[in-house]
Amino acid sequence: MSEFEKEEKIKAGLEAKFPGAVTNALVQRKNRVWLDAAGEKLPEILAWMKAGGFNHLATVTGFDEGENLGAYYHMTDTKIIVTLKVKTPRANPSIPSVLSVFPGAVSYEKELEDMLGIKVQGLPPGRRYPLAEDFPVGQYPLRKDWKTEDYLAQQPSLKTETK
Amino acid sequence: MESILPLAYILIFPGFLFLAVYGLYLQWVDRKLCAVMQNRMGPPWIQPYADFIKLLAKEVIVPDAATNKTMFRVLPFFAMAAVMTALISIPVWTPAALFSFQGDMVVVIYLLTIPTVTFFLAGWSSSSPYSTVGSMRVLTQLFAYEVPLMLSLIGPAILAGTWNISEISAFFAAHPALIPAQLLGFLAALVALQGKLERMPFDIPHAKNEIVGGQFTEYSGRLFGFFCLAVDMELVVGAALVNAVFLGGSLGFAGAAGLAVFLGKTLFITFLLALLKVLMARIRIEQMINFCWKYLAPVAMAQVAFDIFLKYRIG
Amino acid sequence: MSKITIPFGPQHPALKEPENFMLVLEGEQITSAGINLGYNHRGMEKAAEGRTYIQNLYLIERVCGICSHSHTTTYITNVEELAKAEVPQRALAIRTLFAELERVHSHLLWLGVAGYEMGFETLFMYTWRDREQVLDCLELLSGNRVHYSINTLGGVRRDITAEQKAEVLKRIKYLEERTQYYIKLATQEPTVLARTANVGKLPYDVAIERGAVGPTARASGVARDVRKDDPYLLYAQLDFNLITHNTNDVFGRLVVRALELVESYKIINQVLNNLPEGPVAVKVPMKVAPGECVNHYEAPRGEDIHYLKSNGTDKPERLKVRAPTLANLQSVAYMLEGGWLADVPLVIAAIDPCMSCTDRAAVWNPKKGKTEVYSWEEMRKLGIEQYKRRGVDFSRL
Repeated sequence: MSEFEKEEKIKAGLEAKFPGAVTNALVQRKNRVWLDAAGEKLPEILAWMKAGGFNHLATVTGFDEGENLGAYYHMTDTKIIVTLKVKTPRANPSIPSVLSVFPGAVSYEKELEDMLGIKVQGLPPGRRYPLAEDFPVGQYPLRKDWKTEDYLAQQPSLKTETK
Repeated sequence: MESILPLAYILIFPGFLFLAVYGLYLQWVDRKLCAVMQNRMGPPWIQPYADFIKLLAKEVIVPDAATNKTMFRVLPFFAMAAVMTALISIPVWTPAALFSFQGDMVVVIYLLTIPTVTFFLAGWSSSSPYSTVGSMRVLTQLFAYEVPLMLSLIGPAILAGTWNISEISAFFAAHPALIPAQLLGFLAALVALQGKLERMPFDIPHAKNEIVGGQFTEYSGRLFGFFCLAVDMELVVGAALVNAVFLGGSLGFAGAAGLAVFLGKTLFITFLLALLKVLMARIRIEQMINFCWKYLAPVAMAQVAFDIFLKYRIG
Repeated sequence: MSKITIPFGPQHPALKEPENFMLVLEGEQITSAGINLGYNHRGMEKAAEGRTYIQNLYLIERVCGICSHSHTTTYITNVEELAKAEVPQRALAIRTLFAELERVHSHLLWLGVAGYEMGFETLFMYTWRDREQVLDCLELLSGNRVHYSINTLGGVRRDITAEQKAEVLKRIKYLEERTQYYIKLATQEPTVLARTANVGKLPYDVAIERGAVGPTARASGVARDVRKDDPYLLYAQLDFNLITHNTNDVFGRLVVRALELVESYKIINQVLNNLPEGPVAVKVPMKVAPGECVNHYEAPRGEDIHYLKSNGTDKPERLKVRAPTLANLQSVAYMLEGGWLADVPLVIAAIDPCMSCTDRAAVWNPKKGKTEVYSWEEMRKLGIEQYKRRGVDFSRL
């Protein structure tokens, strides 16, 4: 596949550097690389990629796949987006923080904690974001089993008024 | 009858009523001029009056945290009283002021400082963070513009050889050729007046994007209305002072003609102040101090030196 | 002097949208700044999972009032990539045109806001008056001033006629002249210089470290522009320059935005004068095959990135929106610290913050102050009733 030379190089480089930790690498199309990464190696992989020019963590997308929760880390060197998929078991979801590599990622990681209930290890405590302060603890709206209707039914103060 | 006339002077004309009506009118002129220069419609002439009456009808809220509630309540009236008292010594529609004496210029300058001090006290006694920062800025700014203002007023006084405002304006009315020679001092006084009135670009103490309402954040209703009125009156008195000291007051006219001259010239000064307002961005407090001490004060000093030289030449 | 903590927001005259900065002051100088967000959550990502792709288009448009086209275009690019739809060239050209008109509108708006925040109301009034020209263009082309709704699955909803083209070109010509005047004004007016130069410093390495995007990053010398780096729409065929500046301060951000306006006019002229012929939309099936993709887009404020996962139905499995302001906010705390209180509004405004873009997520927001929530159906019913009272009946539509 000489068509996507640069993308293949990045993929090969990652696979060679982190054998076992990087799996299922795929060049989806021009400028898009997808791969699965092992959670415990995440900060290390990001630091290595950052040194190699991928100095922008565009965002972190949390997901819920049923038995696994997890997050996509969208890294870019402004041209190529490399998306690292990190999975963590639903029973005890936990991902190491990447703040040591990308200090700007703090709001993305807070969002993971607040919206999906994934414990981000190493995230400094602080005011919750993005949910309101009085939002019930232990409810994670972006999980698939969380239903808006159920939440509204639980909240007596949010009784629907129809005129 | 004799006792009623001075009372009428103080309460109706040129005292409280005239000052209030004309002050609010000048506020409208200022707003309309700015609007036209900024490509807007601007308010109708009745707007400032309506605003003031509306504020009078609103509830007054005194913050629980106010350090001294009595002081909090009386400060607006202090500011207004000081401004009104200052006008009595400034000629309005006659060549001489109602109540003039040797050295009244010093008194007027001090009386015009009182509103600023009340602004500081108002902000400080409300003990809200915005007001506290605002009141500190009021004081800091006071030290920046007060000296250039005084210096620029000294020049004409030296030239006329008197500390009496009425005599100074009579002197310039008699020697109109000397008025253009005061240009530098006049401009310096205008800029310092802009700072005193806390208008753009010197509205630092109540810069709304930074500290909401500044020293007036906690003021509401009637009390706030009277503070606003005091500021508008200060504009009239400031313009009248600059007019009397630099532009020869009523130019020797009295009665209706004198009043027309007075109104015309204060409107002109308001126009200059409005021009200053729309031309510039608000500067920072430390830039304001730098500007006042580095440029404004030396300009005023130069005018004083020039006037001493002029006086020596004229004899 | 003792330290004072000043709350800057959630409600504050300098902020158009709720956000909160806690500033610790020593005299007039800021010793530390903390940012609190999340006052504006509308639960769009969750809501998107319960709506079809075409319904989501209108939901996503409402992520932001100013960059409504940015968000829909990013979203629609994702959907079309997953659906493997071939979008006609003319549709892409029209999308590019709207993207640039939107940039012009946003940058002019920013210039005005910057003028307002530095207490220069004349600049504010002038730029907003001229911004009406570009809003008129948008209204002429799409029927709407702010939410253009020009995008649809597989293309755009409206074509451009020759008269519209001539009218837009005329207005753009006027704006070009005005922009030259603003560039002169911004770079020569002494008080503007005094207020912007050396204010809100963001050095190159900090900009990289904190993930700054858009004009904020470009004013720190970071040559990052998705239009150049990963061209989408028609940008690969267009001739324009990537603007950077190396003063790292608010002045740099001002200059970058002003010069980008000029580049945008260039692009608009190129697109309008070389409009490809052909249809403006193709049909795309409602159900999208399973897959996932991520796309970014250079919104006026910086890189906007969307992630989309489809599961074979007509509704997305997961949609993630990251608006440029969220990426830039981490830099704001750095820029504020050690600065003057007087510069806070300007520094915050200099990233062109858009809080409604930034805050989206979980629940339907209770109506402010009142604890009542309207469900979608009830909202619809209310809306229909309201218009019925005014004599318009939508229920039959």
